[in-house]
Formats: sequence, structure tokens, C-alpha cells
Amino acid sequence: MKRSGFKALLLACAGLFALSGTVDAGTVRVTIAEYSKGTGPYFNEAAQAFEAANPGTKIQIEVVPWDNLQQKLTTDISAGANADLSIIGTRWLLDYVSQGIITPLDAHVTPDFKARFIDTFLKPSVMDGKVYGLPIAASARALYYNKDVFAKAGLSGPPGTWAEFTAGAEKIKASAPGVFAFGLQGKEIETDVYFYYALWSQGGEIVQGGKSGLGSAAAVDAAKLYRSYINGGLTQPGVTSYSREDVQNLFKQGKVATVITAPFLSSQIKNEAPSLQYGVAAIPAGPGGARGTYGVTDSIVLFENSKVKDEAWKFLDFLFTTEQRTKFDKIEGFLPVNAREASDPYFADNADLKVFTSLLPGARFAPVIAGWEEIATVTSNALQTIYLGRAEIEPTLRDAAAKADEILAKK
Amino acid sequence: MGRRATAYCLILPSFLLAAFIILWPLKEIVNLALHDVNRFGLLRAFSGLANFRALFADPDFLAALWRTLVWTAGVVGGTLAVSVPVALMLNGDFYGRGIARVIVMLPWAVSLTMTAIVWRWALSGESGMLNSGLQGLGLIDGNIQWLAEAWTAFPMQVLIGVEASIPFTTTILLGGLSSVPDELYDAAAIEGAGAWDQFRFITLPLLRPFINIAVVLNTIYVFNSFPIIWATTQGGPANSTDILVTYLYKAGFRLGKLGEAAAVSLIMFGVLLVFTLIYVRLAMREEAA
Repeated sequence: MKRSGFKALLLACAGLFALSGTVDAGTVRVTIAEYSKGTGPYFNEAAQAFEAANPGTKIQIEVVPWDNLQQKLTTDISAGANADLSIIGTRWLLDYVSQGIITPLDAHVTPDFKARFIDTFLKPSVMDGKVYGLPIAASARALYYNKDVFAKAGLSGPPGTWAEFTAGAEKIKASAPGVFAFGLQGKEIETDVYFYYALWSQGGEIVQGGKSGLGSAAAVDAAKLYRSYINGGLTQPGVTSYSREDVQNLFKQGKVATVITAPFLSSQIKNEAPSLQYGVAAIPAGPGGARGTYGVTDSIVLFENSKVKDEAWKFLDFLFTTEQRTKFDKIEGFLPVNAREASDPYFADNADLKVFTSLLPGARFAPVIAGWEEIATVTSNALQTIYLGRAEIEPTLRDAAAKADEILAKK
Repeated sequence: MGRRATAYCLILPSFLLAAFIILWPLKEIVNLALHDVNRFGLLRAFSGLANFRALFADPDFLAALWRTLVWTAGVVGGTLAVSVPVALMLNGDFYGRGIARVIVMLPWAVSLTMTAIVWRWALSGESGMLNSGLQGLGLIDGNIQWLAEAWTAFPMQVLIGVEASIPFTTTILLGGLSSVPDELYDAAAIEGAGAWDQFRFITLPLLRPFINIAVVLNTIYVFNSFPIIWATTQGGPANSTDILVTYLYKAGFRLGKLGEAAAVSLIMFGVLLVFTLIYVRLAMREEAA
């Protein structure tokens, strides 16, 4: 009796080891970030189509919510249990490259394959002349405005500059009680980015010559601009309790007249608030005419320790065909990364998307620096302090710039 | 002696298993905390206490440490203050007691994260249920932005914590109450003791061991509790509602400082161990006296 119990235990242990080893040569594991409820079904369908065309190769899709992606990757990688392919934020790429965790794809990337992409979106995934990832998702930002509210305030079109924006916002405040002119994000992911829109329009940069641009005059002016909107009642009250999704929801409910965000808001509005009359325009320019939008890509990368690199590449090749990309970007509301895909009538004739694509030449991507997330956190904390009116603008930004410089100097 | 040896032998396998499950991760964490660690858990140079020194030099960490103590004391104290009367009422005999017990237990059936997310919506400034409810009652004129600032957000988080801890605590106390013999109350009533005296001299002393266990268990759960703070404010704005475990999560997974995160978890382990030892010692002395 006792003996058989021990045997059973041994067997169970052996079974556990066997389980961790069953992922055999023909299986490609792929970690996917969940962008929307359509993400999982799309990838499972793509995997099935691929398996049908490539018998012998199995694709195993693991869908992870975006918020948990970094945590999952960190734990998986430190345990050596990571998948073969994974989606990562392109802004994390440097960490992965410098630690030798992912492998360059150049052996497979032919000039023909490269020509499939719109160059702006492939570039952020290229480091030291090597392609380390492929842009699986691409997005930019623009100003959404509520046409009904604008018409009621007597405004003929979207504001071209922040000065026009301010004047228009005052008119909205006077003509539409209960509607706030500017939806300002002050919480959670990309709180810092919402500030960079103003920073760029004042001619500032996030990092310039290896130093943080937070202490610059442009940053102070940008912060003063947003602060004046908060003080003047032109934003929704309590901005530090609104995340990006919260502000987008206010816009859908018609409670804020403008919001700066990504193309996917268009598809959300189509589904959730189809009667909302809105337009999309460039983010207002500063006094010197400068303006900027934020470009973001997520990359799909191949891990160095993968034992099925060739099969994994084949799946990548399949995912980046025009047909698959068109399908995926339509579901998610992302910008086309594939040049042929962009000429698809769905994208070419879409008025909203046209605005986004027209802004791409001036788009800035997150700077490729180690410790970027830490700088973003320092910046967001400083901004929240300013938005709450708990400290003076200039010393707060100067302190944040000093902290950011320290982080930049570490590497 | 022989009997004793047999007893130890019999405990040994489960002791070894427990030791492996508890001590091995502890060893790993100590190892992480004493090294310079990269984002992916790769140990680099041995760095001694540098991670701890970095933590104690960070004002946000010290604030989070202090706030964790306030949070734990607030939630555990608040839970006890509500649960004792609730348990007393539910222990009484009244029509619909079964339904009332189910209602009190229900929050337990909902995952803590879901509770916290529902509260996040309820506390939303422009479209939250709480604001519209309070306005409907005529208690406030304008909307309160509950989660915008720490002085409104943190007390609400403590209240959510209390709400989530009540079912468990009430269950423990109900168990305790059912073990108090009715004869004691009858005898006390004959001697002329009123309801308050009965509560003070019979119920409370007999309930004490149950209250003790509720305090220790709740303290451990609440001290380590992540979902409520994370789902409502993520420790913001500007780290003003961070407790140690949210600080740890951000340090480890957002900023990639796994060494510092390991150090935080060791400090949390130490604080809880010391608290539990002191409390158990005190409680035992009381019982012995």
C-alpha cells in the first residue's frame, strides 16, 4: 500500500516533467495581447488557417490582457518558460535586445518582405540595423471633436492652434452647460503622453541630447496651458480620476467636447454611440506652429531560446500577408502597416483614418532609451501633482527632469 | 521515547513538503533582494543591502509603509466594529434570519477584483452611482470626484475593504456565538444583568478567542490585499494611495526593479511575522491569565 503510494507520487512527478516537455518540435507557442474581444478569435482563426496550409505544424495561441502582458513575459522569461513568439510594446524592445532575449529576423527578411511594410511603422522595430520585430499593431493620435457641441457654440470647424482652442472652449462653456470643452486624461497608462501633445506643440521634446526635456520652458508652458484649462473649468472636474478609457467614455456620452486619442475610438463610437456627430482633426499647434502626434507600434518578436524558429517565421510570414493584415486591422481599428493593405477601400476611403494617416509624417515614437517606463512614471506623477494644484509648476517639473536625467544617466 | 520518534517520523513527510513550499521561495527571494537583478530575473553582481538602502531612501516607499499600517488598522478595526453587532443580530432568532445570513455572506461569493471594479464605476465622478444616489437624496449639490484625490479615495478604499471583509469575520464570530451556552444568559438575567452587562461580561469574554483569530487572519489578508487599491486608483494619483503591495507590483513589473521588489516583499514578510508573533503571544497570555 505504502509502496504503491510512493510509486504514484513518482509517477505524478514524472507526469509533471513530461507535461512541461510535451511541446514538441512542431508546436509554435504565441503570446498575444488582447486588444479587444475580437483579438482572441481572430488569432485562433488565423492559426487554424495556417495549420490547414502547413500540416505538421501546430500553433498554440495564448491570449493575455494587455495590462498583464509585461508581468507574464517577465515571469515566463525568468523561468525560461516563454513562448516562441510574443507581442511586446515596441518601447520595451531595447530591454529585450540588450539582454539577448530575442533574435533578429534578418535571416528571413528579404527585400520583398520588407517592401510589404509602410516604412514609418517598421522603423521603430529596427535596432542597430537589424529587424528585431514586426509591427503587429500601429496607431497614432488625433483630436476628436463633437460636431453638435461645436455648432451650438458657433464654431465652424476644429481649432488649428491652442489659442483658437482656448477661445472655442470658452464659447462651449458658455453655450453648453454640463459639457466640458476638453477631455483631459490624468490617470493610469499614457497620462504622460497626453501631456506630450501640448509639449510638442510648444516646441519641446521628451528627451533631447540625452537630457530630459521636462524642465524646459516648453514643458512649463504646456503644463501652464493644461493647468489653465483645469482652473478655468474647461476640463472635466477631477482629471486625476480619469483614465484614457474614462475620458473616451465621457466623449461618447457627449459630456466632453474634445478628446485626443487613437483610431479605435471611431469603431467604438460606431458600435456604442452611433448617433454621435463627431469629426477627427490634427492636434492643435502651438504659437510657433509646431505640432506633434504620438505614434505607437507593438511588435511581434521571436525569442532566442525558441526551438522552432523556422516554423515560427512561417507563421509570421502568414500573419503579415495583405489578406490577414486587412482582416486584423479592420477588427481592431488599427492603422494599416502594410502598404498594399492601405490601398484597400476600407482604409483609403475612411475619412477618420485619412486624418490619422496624414499625420504620420510628424508622428513621434517613444524614444528608444533604457528605463523609459520609469521616466513615464516619474512624468505622470509630476503631472498629477500639477493637475491637482498641489505644487508649483516649475519646481515640480524641474524635480521630475532631475529624476529623469538620473535614470537616463544610469545606462 | 519510541512513541515520540514514531510521531516525528509520521510528521516528517508533510513537514518536508511544507518546508520546501515555504522555505525554497523564501531563499529565492532573499537571493533576489541581495543582488543587482535585471528586468528578467537574471542575477548580476551581489549588492548586499543596496536594494534595501534604495527603498529607505525613497520617500514614496516610506509613505506607502506608513499608509499600509493605516490601511490595515482601518480595515481590520472597521470590520470588527461592524461584524460584532452584525453577528449578534444574526445569532438572534427572527423571521427571515436565513435570508439575512445569506445576504451578509453574498459579497464573499464575488471575487475581490470584481467588487473593486464595480466600486470604481460607482465612484466615477460624472456617471457614478454614488454621486447620483447622494444627489437624489439631496445630500450633495455637485458631483464629488471620489478617486481624484487621496483624501477622498483612500477612505473609500478602506470602506470597500471593510465591506469585503465582513462576511468572513461574521462567519467566524457566528461560530463563536453558537458555542456560548444559553444557560449563562438565563442565569445572568435571573441575577439582574441587563443586555449591556450580558454582552460585556458573558458574550465578549467568551468570544475573545474568536475575535483574536479574526484579527490575526484579517490582518494577514488585508495587509497583503492588492485588488481594491489597484482596481480603483493603481496607487495614484502620484503614489498618494500606494500601499506596500501596489508599490511592490509597480517596482517589479512596471519598472523592472525585481531586486527592490523582492526587498519589499521581505520587509512585508518581516512586518507580518513580527505582528503575528506579538499578537499571538499577547492573546495567549490573556487566555492563560
